Amino acid sequence: MVYRKTIKEIILLMGVSVTLALVVNYLSPRGIALMGQWDTAKGVITANPTGVAEGRPQEIDSAARAREVFDKGDVLFVDARSSDSYEDGHISGAISLPVGQFDERIESFLNQHAPDTFIVTYCSGRTCEDSHNLAQFLSDAGFTDVRIFIDGFPGWEAEGYPIE
Amino acid sequence: MSNLRHSIGNNSWIELAARWILGLTFIYASFHKIISPADFAKIVYGYNLFPEIFINLIAITLPFLELIAGLALIMGFYPRSAAFIINGLLLAFIVVLSINLIRGHEFDCGCFSAGQGGYFSSPRVTVFRNIIYFVLGLQVILFGGIRRMSIKSLSP
Repeated sequence: MVYRKTIKEIILLMGVSVTLALVVNYLSPRGIALMGQWDTAKGVITANPTGVAEGRPQEIDSAARAREVFDKGDVLFVDARSSDSYEDGHISGAISLPVGQFDERIESFLNQHAPDTFIVTYCSGRTCEDSHNLAQFLSDAGFTDVRIFIDGFPGWEAEGYPIE
Repeated sequence: MSNLRHSIGNNSWIELAARWILGLTFIYASFHKIISPADFAKIVYGYNLFPEIFINLIAITLPFLELIAGLALIMGFYPRSAAFIINGLLLAFIVVLSINLIRGHEFDCGCFSAGQGGYFSSPRVTVFRNIIYFVLGLQVILFGGIRRMSIKSLSP
């Protein structure tokens, strides 16, 4: 009989938890979708697929296509990862703009680059959203031509493309 | 020896301490997960163990399970049942951590913070810590006396 009582109580506590969780998640501005996008074959992983879908047209979704852009020239690759990761290795000619330090660095960045500069952001590949966030911030700062290379530095390096 | 075990197992001050330690730990652990569910979902993904359709649901519900069970333990509201939930979670954490430890998968446990800046707490330490918590939970479950500072102090 004690077991039955305990099981009832456990179900009650779990029921309250799950209900509260779903309500808070629904009402909170930071809430997430009930299902995320967690398949790297389909693109960048994210808990909120709707947010990424809006950015899709800007994506460069293979290293080969990024290389075409790179070879045409007249493009600025911007590394969204930490300074340490950048120092360890980055796409040739890329400049560092860690997304976590955007506010401190954006002013000097704006002074050095015209708003119509063709920019391609990247980070550590499809398990990382930093390049998307950086692209969004750069667009908000007035840059009109920003794209995202979603396979990032690992994808570029794996193809043996130029790094430094 | 069995006398000693009996007196520890039925000491109501130890029971109270166990409930408060577990309760505060779990409430604290739930905090950052509730604040940033998207970051926590990514950590769940990083464990590389769960089917895609469950990742967001785990990220949404797990923190509230921790919060509610933690609060129930501290208030002494269905304390034994809350301890069952806590120990169930701990057991799951231990299994999941051990699997990744054994297969050498590098990951962020996400236990107490959303790993900013590549912070990885050692899975070995985490497993050991969880085993200690589990023993505290057992004390709460097996306790047979009257619980101190407990709303349902008379419930078994």
